[in-house]
Amino acid sequence: MTNEKLARGPDRPALLVGLVLLALAATVYYDASKQTITSNYGLGPTAMPYVVCCGLVVLGLAHLFVAFREGLPKPERADGGALLWIVGGLVGLIASIALGAGFSIAITILFACTARGFGRRALVVDAIIGFVMGLGIFLVFAKLLTLLLPAGPLERLFI
Amino acid sequence: MLTSIFKRGAIAAVALAGLSTAAFAQLELKIMAPAAPGGGWDGTARSMQQALTASGIAKSVQVTNVTGAGGTIGLAQLIGAKGDGHQLMVNGFVMVGAILLNKSPVNLSQTTPIARLTAEALVIVVPADSPIKTAKDLAERVKADPAKVTWAGGSAGGADHILAALFAEAAGGDAKKINYIPFSGGGEALAAMLGGRVTAGISGYGEFEGQIKAGKLRVVGVSSSARLANAPDAPTLKEGGVNLELMNWRSVVAPPGLSAEQTKTLSDAMEKMVKSKEWAEILKARGWDDAYLGGADFDAFLKAEQARVAKVMTDVGLVK
Amino acid sequence: METTLSLLNGFSVALEPSKLVFCLIGVFLGTAVGVLPGIGPALTVALLLPVTFKLDPAGSLIMFAGIYYGGMYGGSTTAILLNAPGESASLATALEGSKMAKAGRGGPALATAAIGSFVAGLIATIGLAFLAPWLVEVAIKFGPWDYFALMILAFVTVSATFGDSPLRGMTSLFLGITLGLVGIDKLTGQARLTFGVPELLNGVEVTTLAVGLFAVGEALYVASKRYHAPEEIIPIKGSLWMSKQDWKRSWAPWLRGTAFGFPIGALPAGGAEVPTFLSYSTERKLCKYPDEFGKGAIEGVAGPEAANNASAAGTLVPLLTLGLPTSATAAIMLAGFQQYGLNPGPLLFAEKPDLVWGLIASLFIANVMLVVLNLPLIGLWVKLLAVPQPWLYAGILVFATMGTLAVNASPVELGMLFLFGYIGYLMRRYDYPVAPMVVGLILGPMAEAQLRRALQISLGDPMILLENPISATLLGLAFIALVAPFVMKGLNRFKAEED
Repeated sequence: MTNEKLARGPDRPALLVGLVLLALAATVYYDASKQTITSNYGLGPTAMPYVVCCGLVVLGLAHLFVAFREGLPKPERADGGALLWIVGGLVGLIASIALGAGFSIAITILFACTARGFGRRALVVDAIIGFVMGLGIFLVFAKLLTLLLPAGPLERLFI
Repeated sequence: MLTSIFKRGAIAAVALAGLSTAAFAQLELKIMAPAAPGGGWDGTARSMQQALTASGIAKSVQVTNVTGAGGTIGLAQLIGAKGDGHQLMVNGFVMVGAILLNKSPVNLSQTTPIARLTAEALVIVVPADSPIKTAKDLAERVKADPAKVTWAGGSAGGADHILAALFAEAAGGDAKKINYIPFSGGGEALAAMLGGRVTAGISGYGEFEGQIKAGKLRVVGVSSSARLANAPDAPTLKEGGVNLELMNWRSVVAPPGLSAEQTKTLSDAMEKMVKSKEWAEILKARGWDDAYLGGADFDAFLKAEQARVAKVMTDVGLVK
Repeated sequence: METTLSLLNGFSVALEPSKLVFCLIGVFLGTAVGVLPGIGPALTVALLLPVTFKLDPAGSLIMFAGIYYGGMYGGSTTAILLNAPGESASLATALEGSKMAKAGRGGPALATAAIGSFVAGLIATIGLAFLAPWLVEVAIKFGPWDYFALMILAFVTVSATFGDSPLRGMTSLFLGITLGLVGIDKLTGQARLTFGVPELLNGVEVTTLAVGLFAVGEALYVASKRYHAPEEIIPIKGSLWMSKQDWKRSWAPWLRGTAFGFPIGALPAGGAEVPTFLSYSTERKLCKYPDEFGKGAIEGVAGPEAANNASAAGTLVPLLTLGLPTSATAAIMLAGFQQYGLNPGPLLFAEKPDLVWGLIASLFIANVMLVVLNLPLIGLWVKLLAVPQPWLYAGILVFATMGTLAVNASPVELGMLFLFGYIGYLMRRYDYPVAPMVVGLILGPMAEAQLRRALQISLGDPMILLENPISATLLGLAFIALVAPFVMKGLNRFKAEED
């Protein structure tokens, strides 16, 4: 059993997690070592980072160890297409906020793409639903809570 | 379902407010609160919105919130809105410190100062059973051994912290050695005072008022130049022999690159606002003190405060 | 006796028709905003302050109290139905609650949350009326060292959320603690792990992490296995209402949750999170059906929800008796008092008894209104789960981002939300538990700050942690909770060998 595992080499995901944890520990250590201001009394701002750093190193090494033993649980096959649609929707949302297209359009993109990712084939219908929902939410927030969600050219017509 | 709840709430809220729509002015303003909704700067911005629209000085006022980094993210955005004569931003004493502490690439000198609006005195208190009676007693202790005098107050580099440092300097002690313990929120600092965990506490007068009147805390000194109207018994720090004055003020600034005419429009609007009865009502309700200062005077004041804070923060070791 | 009379007098104020209307508006608004992640009662009250300052003080304060209690109810609804804990105090509820909802037991889960909140709110409000002056004396005795010990006790209980593998659980916890380091250090004002990005100076918001890991992460995970292992959501299986068995399993957790929530909520730096964690792990230990934990055990909803609501009432103890605001909402309520020139504290009870007792009485009324309002709604809420899956998850994502967009609409914050969502997806894929990460982010910075305050007061002497009776006791309890499982295992093995 053990030989079989070794023959296949280390468990990649576990190895990767171990390395990421060690890299994170190094980052925390580096950041703490650059701190210039200390407390006059008691513990300074670097004590906790160093403790965290030690913990991360131990966990990282444990993952490396595990990589050569049983490894992490084997995941099920993932549907890349579905993920891509949803991630696309999220990126679209950030882009429309960053570019000032406004809340309703951002929500339209997110809603339509996510529904597509979950297997619906009616992109236009979903976009309309998303848009109505987005604009509705925007107006409720603006009028009732006087809280302004990100406004684009479209929302400005209403406020 | 949700919308119907909202609707009912909306009708009720509007009915309750009895909002008047008697606005004839043409001025349209955007006021940015460089903090999350619900905080102090946000409260100022929304109060301004209320006063400006209710008194008819402005046709419409929009409040926006830009969160983060002691207000410096909002500041950067304001400076980016160069030449926009409809934009204002609320700021205050705390931002001066935050800019230095966060090593912010932008600072207040890059804005167009409009007016100082309010100011609040800070107060130094001790637990009622403390042997310390006057500012002088406290000053002597700070001078003798700064480590043994523990201060409770708000966030590091904020107004409370700066007052503690200035106090140590005025007392002839070493500001670098003060044992200042920042607490999150006034409640926790107050609890530390009442529990007798610390030597002295600093906060805005309003936050300690209840406990002072109940006799659980004793005022060592208030940081204003004269005694407060609502606390005539509380001595100023100066009276107690410590030559020190500090006010936690709030003001409004506008983006850079405004024409003289644009600046004047905004300044006039602020001047009209502080004279309106709506603003007076708000000040009274919120317990804020009017500290209006406009034009070149405010400009000079802002520069002086920046220099003073920069010196203290270096002295105390917060900025290197 | 005197208190009883004052309270009855308070009811005569609170039962006036106009006050009842304010109370009703409050609980409606509170429930509505409590449902939205990231938008809590504090924000709502803050936004309403300018609108209400011309109103009658008693009326608007009663409305604020209604919003406060209503918000606590609303938070559990999304945690259970959508697995999107909108506030850190609903995290523990989401763990078992969302599992129950997916298995068709959303009805009983919501019911036990609502009734548990009612019971807890009722007991805690009685506590507020009768024990407040005494409790507050104890509460202010708590120093930073005692809080640190309390946090350590809470940390020990996190292992209850670890799942199968201690290694993966610890990894998740440490990732959370690492995230907790990001931002300005509270005690020195120095930036840690911000890499020059100004948006990171404020640190990582708990709601951003929780909503990202839970709601976004789960949406990605469910979508990714849509074809080969489609998730089945059963809106209703069995009774919509709690069965006899559910009642039997719920009442004790309600009471224990209240016992955690009320006193810890009354502590100036106690908060609502610690009691919910303590309650969750206690229920897990005491549960007669330990196998059900992680798959939807009703005790895991009943306990933390009661703790959450009881702590809300607890927060009002220092607020009313001392004028100490110990939570964001309490701070805003204080501002509400002050705009009428009222200063909560010992004097207020003497000067304005009508107002204070009217407020306390209205808390009872708000509690009753909420349970009457919420129980019939359960049927409606559960129908949400019958929405076709694509729309359901698209809606959840819209919902999840809305809170972030309303409070802090920066691309950096949104980017973090989705990064955490992707991490949550990967963690689910490789069977890492996500809850410890959020717990680490909540408790890590609190424990660090309290320890450093304690050592600053003692000028660096760590003995202060053991010299004080409260902190020494709490640390002792934490130690026992930590080693007890190992000792028990050892004993069992010993016994087995004997046989």
